[in-house]
Amino acid sequence: MENKASSHLLKYGRLVRPVAGTLIGLFLVWRLFTVLVIERNFSADTWVRFGLSGLILGGMYALIAIGYTLVYGIMFMINFAHGEVMMLGAFGGYFTFELLRYIPAATPENPDLNFLNAHPIISVILAFAVGIFVSATVGFFLEKIAYRPLRKAPRLILLITAIGASFFLQNLSMLAFGPQRKNIINPDILDRGTGWTLTISGNPVLISYTGVFSLVLSALLMIGLYILVMRTKLGRAMRAVAQDKNTAYLMGVDVDDVISKTFIISGVLAGAAGVMWDIHMGLVNHYVGFLPGIKAFTAAVMGGIGNIPGAMLGGMFLGILESLGPAALGIDFQLKDVIAFSILVLVLIVRPSGILGEKLSEEKL
Amino acid sequence: MKTATRNGFQTGITFGVIVVTMFLIGFTVIGAALVAKIFGTSVSSGSIPPLPFFVIFISLVGLWNGATAARRPLTGADEFKPALVAGLLAGLVTGIFSAVVALVFGMLAANKIDVRTYLVAISPESIKMYLFGQDAVTGSLLSLVLLTVSSVAGSALAVTLRTNAKVRGFFQKAAESYTNAIHSERAIKLRNNPSARYAFLALVAAALIILPRTWGGYWNYVLGTVGIYIILGLGLNIITGWAGQLVIGYVAFFAVGAYTFALLTAPAPHHLMWNFWLALILGVLAAGISGLLIGLPILNLRGDYLAIVTLGAAEIVRILLKSDLMTPYTAGPRGIRDIGGPTLFGRSFTSDVDFMYLIIIAVLVVSFLAYRLQNSRTGKAWVAVNQDETVARATGINAYTSKLLALALSAAIAGLAGALFASRNQFTGPDDHQLMVAINVICLVIVGGIGNIPGVFLGAFALKGLPEVLREIENYRMLVFGILLIVMMRLRPEGFLPAKRPALEKNTPPSGQEA
Repeated sequence: MENKASSHLLKYGRLVRPVAGTLIGLFLVWRLFTVLVIERNFSADTWVRFGLSGLILGGMYALIAIGYTLVYGIMFMINFAHGEVMMLGAFGGYFTFELLRYIPAATPENPDLNFLNAHPIISVILAFAVGIFVSATVGFFLEKIAYRPLRKAPRLILLITAIGASFFLQNLSMLAFGPQRKNIINPDILDRGTGWTLTISGNPVLISYTGVFSLVLSALLMIGLYILVMRTKLGRAMRAVAQDKNTAYLMGVDVDDVISKTFIISGVLAGAAGVMWDIHMGLVNHYVGFLPGIKAFTAAVMGGIGNIPGAMLGGMFLGILESLGPAALGIDFQLKDVIAFSILVLVLIVRPSGILGEKLSEEKL
Repeated sequence: MKTATRNGFQTGITFGVIVVTMFLIGFTVIGAALVAKIFGTSVSSGSIPPLPFFVIFISLVGLWNGATAARRPLTGADEFKPALVAGLLAGLVTGIFSAVVALVFGMLAANKIDVRTYLVAISPESIKMYLFGQDAVTGSLLSLVLLTVSSVAGSALAVTLRTNAKVRGFFQKAAESYTNAIHSERAIKLRNNPSARYAFLALVAAALIILPRTWGGYWNYVLGTVGIYIILGLGLNIITGWAGQLVIGYVAFFAVGAYTFALLTAPAPHHLMWNFWLALILGVLAAGISGLLIGLPILNLRGDYLAIVTLGAAEIVRILLKSDLMTPYTAGPRGIRDIGGPTLFGRSFTSDVDFMYLIIIAVLVVSFLAYRLQNSRTGKAWVAVNQDETVARATGINAYTSKLLALALSAAIAGLAGALFASRNQFTGPDDHQLMVAINVICLVIVGGIGNIPGVFLGAFALKGLPEVLREIENYRMLVFGILLIVMMRLRPEGFLPAKRPALEKNTPPSGQEA
């Protein structure tokens, strides 16, 4: 194999990274310059609006990305079905809202009142509880049934199993719940059209309650996770397993149990992201987890796989880039998804270890 | 006895979940229709098959349940009694699952509540069938009884088959005679006899020449699709089966080939109308180059990045093809029509029979290529890189370039398949290049036997041919693929026709993925 042609190819292969990086960088600068300085199609309020929706989306991506990073750090596999775990959580939230809407809670003043609007806070908490429970259960059984028997198998086999699980869950929910999109009816106080209004350069910018709610909740969850991983015994065990499974085992860590709990934790975060998706986006169907799942993986790679703060940062970053990107580069909004995938390719070309660097144990590399 | 109880309980819960899930996704109706089909009664899709077939279907599930409960190692000298206990328990547990669901949905149906707003597959008729045409309480009790009885019968049957000396002897004898027949001197002689081999080849060739003329347009279409998937499978097998790099978005290269070919030969949107063969070669080249371009920055990274990047590439290609940005160049979501057909010496041959020949020739050429590659230095280098990259590099293999070559070749073969597909349909659009195509190909390679050429053939016939025969399960195909992938990876990761070359380090993760 080591003949002249292949060594030439190798030389060019090494050149690809800097050359492609420079070219893409120049292109981006040129596009940004054109849009921001020459064309000036958007005023400041539009940018704020895009930025806000990016932040909110980024919070959800971050929550899902943490699940990918945790599992990748420990098992060195892309849990392809993680997006589907989030989707099932979203369905859990949707069904809770629908059920609560049918429970009457009439008062003398308001005979048509239902439980959802009579006790909105309890309803939202219930929806999150159900969504998180569903996702955590699915994550737990996914690991137990599909991944655990393959603990010692080659990684290709694990990845294929994960793809199989993803298709199974996606099609199961399509067959059971139907392929059409379902509208989620929020409690009235969390209606998607309501919120605080800011005035920026003469135009109103709506900061919706649902958006703020999602952003605050995802921030709280991330802080909670960080404390869990850094301060608790379980967190220390998780880090130990991620660093070196065999040594952790020798030190008395129950590796299987830690892996199981990792899947439950990532399921909890995905479930919360799913119900947030319900409340903020308002639409759910069987396909709702697929793209966010892949994008969240992109975010995890972007932040540095295996690195929890990296996943948070990567998620936020990706969300903002995705919603600012089409406008900033002056391309069609249809191509929003292309931006996310291009970022993945770009990150892998320019800096494959991610922004904050990956945290993976030596033996697995 | 304790093991038996536990086994029965576990199996019962598993099957209970399975039965309930089948009901929720409407598979009870389809299952009954399949049973009806076996008995020669055709049930049109959407209508409810006669009740007896449903009873048979549920009993079959129960029998399987009992057999599974009894199959596991049981303690005690006498296997019969613990097995029956396990079967009874499994049946009861499954039956309770089923009865509860039947009761709930029966009550809902009795109160005229349509659950189809939320669970689309459960029609009032299917609930009625699930309750055997009775009211909710009777129906659920019947369900419980039927599942229990059939489960006990299943466990009894399993134990009898396993312990009965006569039955066991029969199977042993059959297996022995089969092995003897294969390994007998005469059979070996016949297989090593060159003229017998040529006669067999001639027979296959004659069948391939005659059959497309006789079996009509429908089968030409179905088997043409199978042929294209064989080409795709052989292509994917190079990078995934031999070089060990999973490519999820294989359809991206398929799309590049199809669109390059289509744009060069179609009257709209560019009016190029090039010659078929030239366009075919350019389509193959374009796909190969796109594979090279994707591989250059990615292949020296960790293996699973290639999987996810190609997945991204497939989505990018599909979204771009659909977008307004590319509509002037690629005709957008409407797709490209009137794609050119093959011509040879001025004569155009575009009938389905002619095209079938073309596909057969392409399959033969690609499989010949694959066979030659497999035994070549390059092919062995791929397998070496797959099994242990560090060792492979130590023996002087350039892992990066050899993976790159594998990806480019795979992509080029996908381009060939794409061009053929576009030309046969005389149409190609963004919807022909969904991710499903790639997943189908991965499934067929894995099911057939990863890294094995005959396995690809088997996989393509099983996964693309069978669903054509079993039209009832059309909607459930992707679900079944998902289950198939999980089950195959657990029970038989090497596929139904495993590759002959032994995996040197089975069950150890390939190390040294990082360059």
